[in-house]
Amino acid sequence: MLRSIRTLAAAAAALALVSACNSAATPDKAPPGTSGDSRGVTADSIKVGGIVSMTTASGYSKKDTDLGAKARYLRANAEGGVNGRKIDYLGAEDDGQDPAKNMAAARKLVQQDKVFAVSPMSSVTFSGADFLEQEKVPTFGWGTLPSFCGPKYIYGFNGCLVPSPGGTLNQTWPEGIGQVLGGAAGKSVAVIANDSDAGKFGIRTFQQGFASAGFTVSYAKASVPATAVPSDWSAYVKEIMQSNGGKAPDAVVSVMQTPNNIGLFTALKRAGYKGLISDPTDYDPGLLAKEATKQALDGVHVLLQFEPFESDNPKMTQFKADIKAAAGGQDVPLNMHMVTGYMSADLFLSIARKAGKDLTVESFQAAAQGFSDTGTLVGDRAEPKGQKDSFGCGALVQLKDGAYKVSVPFKCHEPIPFS
Amino acid sequence: MGDLLVFVLSGLVSGALYALLATGLVLSYSASGLFNFAHGATAYLCALTFYELHSGLGWPAVPAALLVVFVLAPGLGWALDRLMFRRLARVGETAQIVATIGLLVALPAAGLWAVELLADAGAPVKPAENQFGLPGVGPSPAVSWQLADGVGIDSDQLITWVVTALVAVALWVLMRHTRLGLRLRAAVDNRSLTELRGISADRLSSVAWMIASGLAGLAGVLATPLLGLSAHDFTLFLFVSATAAVIGRFASVPLAFAGGLGLGVLQNLVAGYASFAEDITGLRTAVPFLILFGGLLVLTRRARTAGTSAVDAPPVDHLAGASWLRRWGGWAAGAVLLGTAFYTVATPFWSGLLAQGLAIALVFMSFTVVTGLGAMVSLAQAAFVTGAALVAGLLMSRGWPFVAALAVGTCVAALLGALVALPALRLGGRSLALATLALAFLADQVLFQLRWLRNGDAGWSIPRPVFGPVDLSDDRALGVALVVLVAAVAAGLSALRNSPSGRAMLAVRSAPAAAMASGVSVLRTKLLMFTLSAGLAGFGGVLYASYNTRITATDFTAMTGLVWLAVVVAAGVRRPQYAVVAGLVFAVAPRLLADYVTESAHLPVILFGLAGLALANDPDGYCAAVPVRWARRRAAGTGRVGAKRADGVARADGAGQADGVARADEAERAGGVARAGGPADRAAAAPAGRTGPTGISAVPRPGPGPGSGAPVPGPRPVSATAEARPALELRAVTAGYDGGLVLHGVDLVVRRGEILAVLGPNGAGKSTACKVAAGLLPAGGGSVFVAGRDATRDGPVRRSRAGVLLAPEGRGIFPALTIEENLALYLRDADARTAVYDRFPRLGERRGVAAGSLSGGEQQMLALAPLLQRPPEVLIADEPSLGLAPRVVEEVYALLTELRGAGTALLLVEEKAAGILGVADTVAYLSQGRVSWCGPRAEVEAGRLTEAYLGMAT
Repeated sequence: MLRSIRTLAAAAAALALVSACNSAATPDKAPPGTSGDSRGVTADSIKVGGIVSMTTASGYSKKDTDLGAKARYLRANAEGGVNGRKIDYLGAEDDGQDPAKNMAAARKLVQQDKVFAVSPMSSVTFSGADFLEQEKVPTFGWGTLPSFCGPKYIYGFNGCLVPSPGGTLNQTWPEGIGQVLGGAAGKSVAVIANDSDAGKFGIRTFQQGFASAGFTVSYAKASVPATAVPSDWSAYVKEIMQSNGGKAPDAVVSVMQTPNNIGLFTALKRAGYKGLISDPTDYDPGLLAKEATKQALDGVHVLLQFEPFESDNPKMTQFKADIKAAAGGQDVPLNMHMVTGYMSADLFLSIARKAGKDLTVESFQAAAQGFSDTGTLVGDRAEPKGQKDSFGCGALVQLKDGAYKVSVPFKCHEPIPFS
Repeated sequence: MGDLLVFVLSGLVSGALYALLATGLVLSYSASGLFNFAHGATAYLCALTFYELHSGLGWPAVPAALLVVFVLAPGLGWALDRLMFRRLARVGETAQIVATIGLLVALPAAGLWAVELLADAGAPVKPAENQFGLPGVGPSPAVSWQLADGVGIDSDQLITWVVTALVAVALWVLMRHTRLGLRLRAAVDNRSLTELRGISADRLSSVAWMIASGLAGLAGVLATPLLGLSAHDFTLFLFVSATAAVIGRFASVPLAFAGGLGLGVLQNLVAGYASFAEDITGLRTAVPFLILFGGLLVLTRRARTAGTSAVDAPPVDHLAGASWLRRWGGWAAGAVLLGTAFYTVATPFWSGLLAQGLAIALVFMSFTVVTGLGAMVSLAQAAFVTGAALVAGLLMSRGWPFVAALAVGTCVAALLGALVALPALRLGGRSLALATLALAFLADQVLFQLRWLRNGDAGWSIPRPVFGPVDLSDDRALGVALVVLVAAVAAGLSALRNSPSGRAMLAVRSAPAAAMASGVSVLRTKLLMFTLSAGLAGFGGVLYASYNTRITATDFTAMTGLVWLAVVVAAGVRRPQYAVVAGLVFAVAPRLLADYVTESAHLPVILFGLAGLALANDPDGYCAAVPVRWARRRAAGTGRVGAKRADGVARADGAGQADGVARADEAERAGGVARAGGPADRAAAAPAGRTGPTGISAVPRPGPGPGSGAPVPGPRPVSATAEARPALELRAVTAGYDGGLVLHGVDLVVRRGEILAVLGPNGAGKSTACKVAAGLLPAGGGSVFVAGRDATRDGPVRRSRAGVLLAPEGRGIFPALTIEENLALYLRDADARTAVYDRFPRLGERRGVAAGSLSGGEQQMLALAPLLQRPPEVLIADEPSLGLAPRVVEEVYALLTELRGAGTALLLVEEKAAGILGVADTVAYLSQGRVSWCGPRAEVEAGRLTEAYLGMAT
């Protein structure tokens, strides 16, 4: 006991010493930002890094995000760079969907590699967000996480996709489905999500979105187990099929990931469901390569928040050419992760261009304030609006006979207030 | 009704997969006593291989599946058994659990890495990520049939059912109607008796692991369309199927199989009818873990007083008794250096990394309490961390100061720990590990889904505290503060270990019953350990979160907790300073590997998983292994092993044993010297042997040897005929257990057709002598000869094959096998078994009855009867009359006499002299580990008997 008291006394003394050291050291310490103004920027280059979930235990990978970013930076450099500076893209750090690794990657990029910006950042976790914000590192990525909504230095490539009460809701999905059904009035819709807090929140937002677009929401439940995919969907299908006053609803909307959707949609069709089916995740031409997914998703309308690959927009043609060039001249199957990387890089480049020759964090941030452009692959962009709300644009594509076809062309919709 | 049918039918699909996995778990558990957390990972690896063979290389589905299930998966099982599991079977439960957790992450990483390498080499493999709707063995997409209105099945389901049914039948045939199955079941029933019967349990273990892996492979192939290629999902699936293994009590294959099927159906029914669960977010998700937890509570009864593992003998502490400086100097210097480094050499990046390592070290030290001190494996530490940090964040968002929020968070974690500990009070070992895992998942899926607690995906901000001039938002200041905190906690834990409470904890760990008898409340002690450990984890968690400056509910999941445990145990879990090393390594190693070794994200994971292999050699971790190995080498270098150890050796957890160990060593050395000196020395040495119980003396060698002075019965060895050559001879055998020596140099000789009765009081070493003779226990010194051949190094299997049979104390039967099966293990020939039944009609009448249900006398008959048909060269019987009625004892002795007539050499050990003297040819008295007298029965005198029993020297 005596020893532990002695130890504690020693500890207290040491702590006092720390405080002395610290107060002595604080003046030496460069306040983040002042010398970091032009961190990673030289006369002819800008250093940029990325953070992407590549290897994972869940079998879900976003690694093509890196290729998308590379493609965009390659073109920028080929066109002479940004105000005469080439982009020195270090490639993406793999965070393996692990919060600790995400943080470590952010720290490495800033403290070790001294990057000016992080773009893209696409993962299911973003624990490095606070650090990047504190170190004033402009960061661009897929705004599906709350960290893309609010902080000053973090930007979603198509805005902040997590609605917050008092903010707005993106109405692309309800409006689009209404268009396919020939008007929302008198139509019923069933919304289903995973049994988790996130699923419940999704249900809440879409319930409001569909209702205000004129739909009757006949079923809205976060009821599907969130970890393992159920082997049997009959319980859920049965409930959905009778939700509309004993009849099937006009549309079934799933807010779940691909493996769940495959099971649910297959079961719905086997139960004789003839209405519209829609989800926001299954726009992946890779899914067409397998007979099972092709059949399960046949007829499904998929929501996407960028210009579809099937579009003949010249910017899309450019995108495909850039990807092909970055992949070494090979035709690689396109997917949405490439768009994430590509458009994250694009937003960064556009703001950097606007910041002008004298590129510092401050000039960059100033350029971001009041930045806006139109007609991009993600629609009309505007900052700082995008740090609070989604850009509000999207399209629906339908998988039919083994190919995606645009069912509702890409368009920006007026968002509604979220309460 | 239609609904119910559908729920049951489709529930049977996942049920079939659970059944296959659970069967594999039970088989591998019974083969080597370890719960294979990596079983799901094996299934994943097989699914991945099948996918690459089928979709990548374009093989047809069925040959690809057959190759995986019948060749690759069993091959993997065999290799892992040889490399790892066989050796792990001999170490403590914690090391076992952790080693397979390492494999759990290493196997999938190895598979993915292989795919990556193959792709780089230009093989036509396909990427393993983002693959959905994968084809199984059947047509893809699956063909579906509508049986009735609303009742449909598809081809994948049908294939799963049919194949599982076939496997069930095949397993039944294998286990019930083949010799291999009989041996497997015998090994499950009583592993050491199997070895005594000359059947290699190691080989059976290999076979069991091959079958288990094959079943995992089958489950993997069948589950591919359902689970895709998610290692995570396969592992979750495995945890659920552990429930079925629990239903089978880790021993019964049919029960586990049925349990798996039932589990699938139950899960489906709950999902279908659990509308009540809608208000509680996550409850449906958590159903499998509720079932697992409930199952563990209801079904685990046997290990009531467990929670401890006696095999976990602590390593030798080479610094016991050393000065404070020698013990702590190195660590203190390390801490000071680390603290200085923050303000001198460390770059901001490295400061951050080291601070992170120190923060996680605080969490890791919580394992030192619950697993290191308490020997209880808790897989719920991550839940305590998350709980504490969320609460602290919630409070800080309401304006609470950091210190107050830290204190409340710590208390909440401690409270959670106490809640988790409640089941711990009745569970132990793997059941406790699984129960805490289930609770951790429940916390993730239900508790941390509460919106007011988790604050959505954003979580809570936990700004770093500022105390006056100390601003911890500077990584360097945080680092130094953490060094101080870590040192304080380490000192506190060491003080705790040496306090009365700490000694109570150690007592509960090593012998709960004894601890209870000494007035230590086992219940309170366990509760205290869990609470303390959870509180510490929470404390560390809040600080770790403040390093990150934010906590979200998904930062530390149940799976994170698994990895943490593996990292800590790999370093060493017995001392807090090892946990600090583990924390620093955990933070720094990935960076170093990435910078200097490989860019691949897979290789570090594989390396980490292979730490399990190291645990098989150094179950106490690499930190503990370094001083032990160093001390060993130094001792070997000085060449004065005995003297060194005599004054230096002390057991870490029982200083009282030091004396015993030192004594043992001395005695052994002295014994060796005496032997080397040859017969001339014996006369001189013998009197010294009687100096007293200290044992520091030479070994007396009375016995049937020429020149020993003792009367020798029967023909002398010099006559050298085959008949006269000893069938079994023990020469100057010393042997003992961890605690010290039991036999101090025993000589015994048995010849063909002779009964040697060994008498002696309790604790004289009779059973130990039997074990050494049968090869169950290796002799520390001296040698054992079988038919004139030196068999000292042979294990029980080789001894048994050489004709030496041990009928162990108690009954040498397999209680779960039938009488017929018990006989069949020794008598393969049906005619021979019929002969036994003719001789013992009682056994014949009940040949289909489990042997365990026989009376004691009948069991002894069953153990001895088959020997009459095929008499062994040597039979060692350890107290064959124990607990039998006098009439039955007579029968048993008659049988033994008959065996002698058939030429068997018998070594009979008895405590009660009365009966055995009637049949023995030679009698030896054993007392205090020595043969105090040996001679023909005729010369046995009452006085000598008394002396042998009371240990009075003449």
